[in-house]
Amino acid sequence: RIMPVRWSRYNPSYLEPEVKKESYQKPLEELTEEERQQRELKAVRPIKAAPATLSSSVFSDPMISKFTNMMMKSGNKVLARSLMSQTLEAIKRKQLEKYHRAPENEKETIECNPYVIFHQALKNCQPIIGLSNITKGGKTYQVPVPLTDNRKRFLAMKWLITECRDHKHRRTMMPEKLSQELLLAFNNEGPVIKRKHVLHKMAEANRAYAHFRWW
Amino acid sequence: MAAPVYPAWVTRWVSGQWRNKKRPPTLRPPRTLALADKVASRREQPTEAKCITEMSVMMACWKQNDFNDTPCAEEIRMFYDCLAKAQKEHKNQNEDTLSSRGNLPSSKVNKLLKRFPQITRYV
Repeated sequence: RIMPVRWSRYNPSYLEPEVKKESYQKPLEELTEEERQQRELKAVRPIKAAPATLSSSVFSDPMISKFTNMMMKSGNKVLARSLMSQTLEAIKRKQLEKYHRAPENEKETIECNPYVIFHQALKNCQPIIGLSNITKGGKTYQVPVPLTDNRKRFLAMKWLITECRDHKHRRTMMPEKLSQELLLAFNNEGPVIKRKHVLHKMAEANRAYAHFRWW
Repeated sequence: MAAPVYPAWVTRWVSGQWRNKKRPPTLRPPRTLALADKVASRREQPTEAKCITEMSVMMACWKQNDFNDTPCAEEIRMFYDCLAKAQKEHKNQNEDTLSSRGNLPSSKVNKLLKRFPQITRYV
């Protein structure tokens, strides 16, 4: 069992933990002034406990962890992580099959790295502007509004997961459906990209209300 | 000759108001004649939305290219640049300088006035 060690409220003097190995392997001469000051500060100040999801391994990816957390139901992280690894494996298998079937000249164009496919698919799914409800004069209007990076990533992941959960056959497994959706999104096709386009179309239709924004 | 215009003191004298020893009105102010340390709170006018031109250019590009992102990459990049610039400007602006319309919001005016209050009595 994992016992939570990280508190939820720390004194402001506590610093964040530095997990990357590369930052500690740099020799002293290469550090800039502020990095040296940071090192000296770290020698004196207390440091917060690292969260359980933070890892220093080369295989950990913050986007993949965020996606697994969103897929998780009722705290079953074991199941969510296994589903994620099965998805990546399924993507790799499909791409390898395509690679071995393709003629020689097309072999370079096929991307086999599942992490690259995942990141590119997420980037293709992110909307650029969203709609927000603004009440003016008693009526609520849908106003096109720029979104923050966090919100874009969240929407892309949420759309992927809801699409895989709702629109599939009862007997298809989640990794299979997810790998299918990710490969379609990688090629800018599929229902998630269509949902993004629908949102852009609605924003474009309401572009007259863009002046209602005040930020 | 048109109706003769007399100076104001003549009309007042002739009207006979001073014959009854009418005194000028004594001042009975309900409140002390001193400036208050507060300003009435005013509804701040909302600032204008930024980056609307970039957004409209991007939307026009979308309409032409069937909402694909790859042909519109340049417009999207310009939109993102404009957003980053607007956010940086918002972070860097000093809160105590005048706003773009040349007014200070009433809360800041009240803070300043509190630092230098009106002295109504000497102790």
